[in-house]
Amino acid sequence: MARITIADSDLAFDCGSDDSLLRAGLRANLNLPYECNVGSCGTCKFELVSGEIKVFSDTAPGLSDRDRKKGRQLACQCLPLTDCVMKVRLEEDAPAKFPPTRLKVKLIKVTDVTHDIREFQFQAASPATFIPGQYAMLQLPGVSGERAYSMSNLPNDDGVWAFMIRRVPQGVGTQVLFDALILGNEIGLDGPFGKAYFRSESERDLVCVAGGSGLAPMLSIARAWSQKSKSGEEHLTFFYGGREPRDICGEEMLQQLPEFNHQLQFVPSVSGAVNDATNSWLGRTGFIHEVMHGFEDLDYANSDFYIAGPPVMTQAVMDFLRESHAVPQEQIYFDRFF
Amino acid sequence: MSASNSVETQDAIRLCQVADVAEGNGLQINLPERPPLAVFKIEGQIFITDDTCTHGQASLCEGEIEDGVVECPFHQGAFEIATGKAISAPCSVHLKTYQPILVGDDVFVHLDKVSS
Repeated sequence: MARITIADSDLAFDCGSDDSLLRAGLRANLNLPYECNVGSCGTCKFELVSGEIKVFSDTAPGLSDRDRKKGRQLACQCLPLTDCVMKVRLEEDAPAKFPPTRLKVKLIKVTDVTHDIREFQFQAASPATFIPGQYAMLQLPGVSGERAYSMSNLPNDDGVWAFMIRRVPQGVGTQVLFDALILGNEIGLDGPFGKAYFRSESERDLVCVAGGSGLAPMLSIARAWSQKSKSGEEHLTFFYGGREPRDICGEEMLQQLPEFNHQLQFVPSVSGAVNDATNSWLGRTGFIHEVMHGFEDLDYANSDFYIAGPPVMTQAVMDFLRESHAVPQEQIYFDRFF
Repeated sequence: MSASNSVETQDAIRLCQVADVAEGNGLQINLPERPPLAVFKIEGQIFITDDTCTHGQASLCEGEIEDGVVECPFHQGAFEIATGKAISAPCSVHLKTYQPILVGDDVFVHLDKVSS
């Protein structure tokens, strides 16, 4: 166990030899900056003032050449070898409501969502505490490193954690999940993480934009929105983008919500060929930001936007919101799926 | 002809004087009903960008400036000042830049003329 001190403060925390500086700090309820937890987003940069660390990945895309020249590190990619002093600017917003903890969970249910997305449900011994929109890191048997997946269900006392996961061709992690893991098998779960969670106190309209397995956190947020008390005027517009007709999903789950087709509108779009092996698509076509452009029912100034999906989609939607509609950044929440 | 009557500065907003901005620094300019601007002076040349980082609610005028690059004080994301290009994570959305209009010692800008 190493003692980690934040420079120029009286804050310190313990970090185990199998933990990252970031996660150990978050467990201690310190408001360390971060987003992705996997070395890609670059938000958790810090400077090591003293002590020795081991770096998981020297080539993490979250560090630019400029950062490397300045000797910066990513807290999510470092484990301490000795006591350390780290220089980092803590976030000013409130720390996470639920600091991440490590759990053992059992696979209890698998359901097909599309041809390449499945929902996996895991059972923990304690209540599943998280805020809709957050994610967890899964430690899969025989797989080095962890995988980040967003929860699709709501927090619950039954201890059920549900994830919608897209099979990655040649992906070692999803191969284990899809082909090797059987009901009753145990895996490690660390969470919750993530700041793109649902701000239920907002009275603005809600716009969810999802692509691929980004369906999961958006569905969790839509379910939470449905449950919260509303004036009756608020709207949820749920965009879902897929390449082919067979990629489109989400409608079946959203139909379960009482607001469906009244206050809740589902807007799917196909960006590639409209005919695939099994379906012909008669609905909207084009990338989601293009569909949003032609969609006249959105009140941009009075909506919160949540985005989850492939980086290209997320970027295009963000650019569209910021440049075409000057949506302030405090009304945009997104998870970058790397 | 005085500056305020020239065609170039018609409808333009006067932000500051060139001398108000220290070399290698940024000056935050607060304007009514819009987010603040940053006026930078790099090797004597004036550049204007949005002041708020595209990633978090930070003022770039409080960031370090080096080799024509401004670094956000929050998460050390970075932008090229001349082009607004985001060059270091976590910033991925480029910064808006505006064409400065120099009339004598005064710096003006047309807010509707975004140069990138």
